[in-house]
Amino acid sequence: MLKLSNISMEFGALKTLNDLSIELKEKEIVSVIGPNGAGKTTLFNVITGLYKPTSGSVKLGSQEMLGLSPAEINRAGIARTFQNVRLFLNMSVLENVMSATFGRTRSGLFSSALGLKRSRKEEAEVKEKAQELLKFFGTRLTGYRWDQPAFSLSYANRRRLEIARALATDPKVLLLDEPAAGMNPKETQEITEIVGSLRAERGLTILIIEHDMHVVEGVSDRVVALDYGVKIAEGDFDHVATHPDVVEAYLGKGSTATK
Amino acid sequence: MSNLGIGTDEWVAQHEERLASQSPLKKLFARIPLWAKWGSFFLIAFLFGMLSDNQYLLRVGVNLALFIMLSYGLNIVVGYAGILDLGYVAFYGFGAYGYALLSSEQLGQHWPTYVTVPFITILTAILGYLISLPSRRLFGDYLAIVTLFFGQVFVQLVLASDNITFPWADDYVDITAGSNGIPGLDTFNLFGYIFDDIKDYYWLLMVIVLVLTVAIHRVSATRIGRAWRTVREDALVSEVMGVSVKRVKTLAFVAGATIAGFAGTIFAGMQTSVFINGFDLPLMVMIYAAIILGGSGSLAGALIGAIIMTILPELLRVPNYGAILFFVALLLTFFVLSKKFSRFLIYVVSIILIGFAFQLAMKAIGVTQANAEDWVVGFTGDLLKNWLFVPENRILWGNFAFILLLSLIAFFSIAKPIWKHVLLPFIGFTAIFLWEVRLIADVSTTRQLIIGAMLVVLMILRPQGLFGQTRVEIL
Repeated sequence: MLKLSNISMEFGALKTLNDLSIELKEKEIVSVIGPNGAGKTTLFNVITGLYKPTSGSVKLGSQEMLGLSPAEINRAGIARTFQNVRLFLNMSVLENVMSATFGRTRSGLFSSALGLKRSRKEEAEVKEKAQELLKFFGTRLTGYRWDQPAFSLSYANRRRLEIARALATDPKVLLLDEPAAGMNPKETQEITEIVGSLRAERGLTILIIEHDMHVVEGVSDRVVALDYGVKIAEGDFDHVATHPDVVEAYLGKGSTATK
Repeated sequence: MSNLGIGTDEWVAQHEERLASQSPLKKLFARIPLWAKWGSFFLIAFLFGMLSDNQYLLRVGVNLALFIMLSYGLNIVVGYAGILDLGYVAFYGFGAYGYALLSSEQLGQHWPTYVTVPFITILTAILGYLISLPSRRLFGDYLAIVTLFFGQVFVQLVLASDNITFPWADDYVDITAGSNGIPGLDTFNLFGYIFDDIKDYYWLLMVIVLVLTVAIHRVSATRIGRAWRTVREDALVSEVMGVSVKRVKTLAFVAGATIAGFAGTIFAGMQTSVFINGFDLPLMVMIYAAIILGGSGSLAGALIGAIIMTILPELLRVPNYGAILFFVALLLTFFVLSKKFSRFLIYVVSIILIGFAFQLAMKAIGVTQANAEDWVVGFTGDLLKNWLFVPENRILWGNFAFILLLSLIAFFSIAKPIWKHVLLPFIGFTAIFLWEVRLIADVSTTRQLIIGAMLVVLMILRPQGLFGQTRVEIL
């Protein structure tokens, strides 16, 4: 589904990603772990077109993503969330989600201004779709909250809203950057369930960066560990978590492998 | 593993209860449908057009309508899309000069109105597109500087284009008449109907403003409008979420420019003359003031802001209205600062006593008093003429008072609370003195001072503007 081959990303002398290859099969959930500065977010930025890698290729299906603009990559079917939640804070909850349908809708300046039938129909559809997506998170993001500005939301709700917004772009592949960061254990548990149901109900392929090992263990089909931009281990959770290189990367040389 | 399910939210469940505790006035205003609020404005404008034949008032109405067009346009660029365009007014000037050149003896062209206006409007749109090309890569302050430059380039080009040498012409060619401006333009003539009355423009503009209101309202609530706001909020995320940021920004820029250019052509036809100083920074500042005052990013705000910025300066032409505004503002300030009514009364009495003391002191050192007829302008002067000592040399003493007032205010802002109580009556007296001695007679300066002071106060009390929504930068 998503195939990254031999990606290198250099900022001057700093090699953030070094000859990295990862492949995601359809409907697979893969976690990327690694210490701070390992290059996980850089990897996301390369996939979504925010950074142009020094070399390598990113393929969605058979289509090459490198060279496309971030908006084009999104329309091809890759959506993401951000580590430091980046919502459109001064827009309403509903608008945040509705705005992400831009690439899938057509209404132009004039058809909107004239209030043409197809433009009104499209607007109604977009609204219904957004409400549908927000209902996915229970009642928290529904009802009067639709019209509240996003900045009035709690941290956990912002993270949920960000996921809903990413879903509104109709992605095939979803990239989640630390979805459980800053959440309490109950909310973390819920995020785990949500990630699972995203695949079950929507058939999404998911690449997820996460530090919380409960989440990683709970959701991943496969885990990839990075350190200094190099893939140091890959496989199922138990394999990677006990891999000596991974333990060394997190805890330093000479540590005992513990889980 | 606990069975969490996907959550319910108590805060959401209690929403109805919280609504019930809102103030009744707020609830009433919320219950009036949107079309009724807007409709009332257009109804008033319509009735006014039907009933009034006052040329002066109709002209104010026409100026207001043009100003509304400008603030609508700028609201799209700055309010929705967040593009800080300081050269916006150049598009207005371009529209006006474009019309002027094709409808006067300046170039000997007299194109029919129904060709000139669309032609110039489209030309402005193209110009807007060209200028958006370098501008759309930039953000915030950098963009502001670049667009400011474009605005000034327009002014300088018009000023300098009155003697151009072409290789094929022997003599200087005068295109724009430079600072002399272009007089004697043709008024609008639509298929034989000549706009020879200000009322014709009034009706034309009313229809245009109505159409623009509906159109912009629709656009802002739907796909393109949302995209504009996402670009304002966070252009990078917007791009990652599939919005073609560059295209959307250009669209906002061009839409704003087109409206301004269109307004420019109407202005030129109505005024039948154009002068470059009408399209320079002062007007730019006024349009910005209007949308900031009304609430950037709100269509109703752009309308209200335009109304305030047009009507208020007109009202302040009359010294009595200015005086009312000044004294009401002064009393209100004192009332707010005193916090207690008893203290407020002490302030007022102190000011009165300071006035008498000032009178005695001035007479004691032998300063000549001015005749009441020389300085009494409005009714407040009549009321105060036996209390306030006005020296004969009003300019000198007025200037003293101005410096004294500013120093007192400066002291006030850093003084200990106890000294603030002492300083306040003196500030009040100096302000009244300055007002009666200098400001009330100098209407053109006073207007701007009052508008400026009003903006400062409003921005402190309500930074989001009258109709704007509270905004956050980072949370």
